[in-house]
Amino acid sequence: KIELTLLEGNKNTPSLLLNCRGLFLRAVLVICNYLVRRRTEYGFKGLKSIFLIPSNRNSYKKNICIDMLRQGYHKSFSELFSLIEKWNALREAAGPGSAIWQQKSLEEQPDKLDQLYHFLTRAEAAQRAGHYEEVYDNQLNLAYYFNDPEDKWLSNYFHERCFNTAKLITTDIRKREAQAHANMGLIKEEQGHVLKAAEYYETFYHLTVGSTWKDVTGHTYNSLASEYLWRIYTLLADKMLENKEHQQAIKTLKKALKMAKNGRWKITLSHSAETTKRLEEFMKAAENAHLSQSQVDACVLLGNIHNERGSYKEACEYFSQAYETAKTLNNLALVDETKAYCGIAKAHKLMVPFNSHIEAEDLISLKYLLAWKESRSDMCTDPLTVGKTLVMKYISAVLSSTAELSKFNNREKQGENREEKI
Amino acid sequence: MATGDKDHHKADWVSIHQQTCQLLIPTRTSLPCPTTERERKRGTEQLLRRQKYIIDAAFSTAQELVWAGKHEEARPAALHALRFSIEVYGSDSLQLLPAYLLLAEACAGAGHLPEASQYLSQAEWIILRTPDCSAAVQHKLHRSLGLFCAAKGDFEKALYHLANDVYLASSTFGLTSIEASGGYFHMADVFFRQNKVDIANSLYTEVTSAWHSFLLKSLQAQQQVPKSRPETSVFTEDREVSEEPLTEAQQVEGIRVLNAILDIREQAPTQQPGETARVLHALAMLHYLLMDVPKARELGLKAFELLKQLPQQESPEPLGYLLALMNVEPSSTK
Repeated sequence: KIELTLLEGNKNTPSLLLNCRGLFLRAVLVICNYLVRRRTEYGFKGLKSIFLIPSNRNSYKKNICIDMLRQGYHKSFSELFSLIEKWNALREAAGPGSAIWQQKSLEEQPDKLDQLYHFLTRAEAAQRAGHYEEVYDNQLNLAYYFNDPEDKWLSNYFHERCFNTAKLITTDIRKREAQAHANMGLIKEEQGHVLKAAEYYETFYHLTVGSTWKDVTGHTYNSLASEYLWRIYTLLADKMLENKEHQQAIKTLKKALKMAKNGRWKITLSHSAETTKRLEEFMKAAENAHLSQSQVDACVLLGNIHNERGSYKEACEYFSQAYETAKTLNNLALVDETKAYCGIAKAHKLMVPFNSHIEAEDLISLKYLLAWKESRSDMCTDPLTVGKTLVMKYISAVLSSTAELSKFNNREKQGENREEKI
Repeated sequence: MATGDKDHHKADWVSIHQQTCQLLIPTRTSLPCPTTERERKRGTEQLLRRQKYIIDAAFSTAQELVWAGKHEEARPAALHALRFSIEVYGSDSLQLLPAYLLLAEACAGAGHLPEASQYLSQAEWIILRTPDCSAAVQHKLHRSLGLFCAAKGDFEKALYHLANDVYLASSTFGLTSIEASGGYFHMADVFFRQNKVDIANSLYTEVTSAWHSFLLKSLQAQQQVPKSRPETSVFTEDREVSEEPLTEAQQVEGIRVLNAILDIREQAPTQQPGETARVLHALAMLHYLLMDVPKARELGLKAFELLKQLPQQESPEPLGYLLALMNVEPSSTK
């Protein structure tokens, strides 16, 4: 108020001050602006009472937006702005008491705003230069950054942006496009859109056939695609079975099986109880529909899963069921193959008591072992019929080996080697 | 004001006075002493009404002159509006803002930068002292400050103010509003002058699409409203603009902005026929809404020709819709 009275007091006198009025006002403005900014930056309160200036505090969001705009990143600005608006609208729609109501808004989280600023502007600069792979990489960074459950919508949003960008990339023989399809499939699967997910995975599969691209864990993209497709097909079949569409379900399960076989030794099947359940269902369905080939396939897969898990008894059962079914098919190669599987599982089964005798290192156990070695008969398990010679060979190798016993824990590998020998 | 265009000033003063002088006399002369309380009240009310009318008249005169590019001539009228505004609303009312900004624009346009700066400072001061000043008002101030800085050649500062303008306009009117696009347009101009052509182009595209969708919406709204407008009374003082598809300011801004972008698109070293066609389409719609059908048809056909050259036509339906409208229009009896 002081300044104003000063000015008004000089209004009627043609003094120097009147001529300088504009200049003076500017000076006051500059000082005030400076002080206001200082107050916001350093949290210095109390100016309001001195200068009677309303708080013109800029929010962090506003500062970020203005920084983007003045550098010409108008697309980044509108993207950020509409994301914040979208969140607010979602929150309004959910109403008080909802989970989202408790969350902090995006505009109240400077760290997240910083990340958005950084990657959005870089993506926009790359887009202006026509470097779409760089646009994609920046968007993907954002999709990965928002990995909190409450930021899921943001992650999904940026994956979708990546997907659209990937279509424009012409320089990377469609690697990013494949990746984007996989990510979209995962999102759709999570949201329960199984059919849509299957579509994305199928494209992912076709784009990666014959490629050597690997993900961070060393799996090839194509084996991942097989795994995803196997999972989604069994899910689909599940739904079909629920709706009593048996023929459709069998068809889909066959596709799933093809995927599983495709990556049989390359991928580790997800050993969940879920998978086993699916396979058992499938086996039953195949049995009922008299699809012997599918039944054999399912038995072999189930046997493999149990074998890898160490439940050799179950593995034996499934393999011998496969063997029995294969015999009805008049397919000699298949009979041989299943016979070999039976042998492997039985050998594993025998390994358990054998190892325990070795580890026991007592006289009785030693006697048992010696007796067995002499007679070459079955020691303390069920008599071996199929694959007996194989087991003998295996056990002799074990005995003669100087390697430590712990090595035998790695059964999987040896199982594989044996298979090759066969 | 000692320059040769004193005659101009005179003419303008007369033109404003023509509208206002009958009202001016009672506002300047002291009233005869009112006899009753009621009469006194009526007298002050009447005075206030007259003053407000003068403000409106002076303001719109100045505004039209500025739009016409006659900045020097607009100055006296704008000053007139400001003086009466101060009389009516006091010296630090938010109501003075439009007058201050218009005056600053007129001064800057006429090359009187220090004077313009002074008026802008006054406006800034008013806003700084108003605690709950709306974003809609603030965005106008930033627009003016941005334009002023751009005129001075201080591009960085201009961009800062225009960024504020866009942010505030987006918060108030929406991201794709034509209010926000105004800020983008001026920013594009600054970037263009800084030789950052890619940014400028990207911004021009943004502005074009804002206008395009706004005009398309206006056009569709106009077609849906049955043409049963009641006869407007000759005696109504307020000009009814609510039923018009566009305000006068929007019409002027649209013509100016879209023509400027069209020029830039047509003179660009690398042609983007799709973009140029979009500007032409928007302009055609604007002219159609302003009842200039021949011009609209010419522009629409030009856009159509450009789109035909493109391998894949980018959604020509709205354009086809407009062209169909115009072919029907002359034959239908109104």
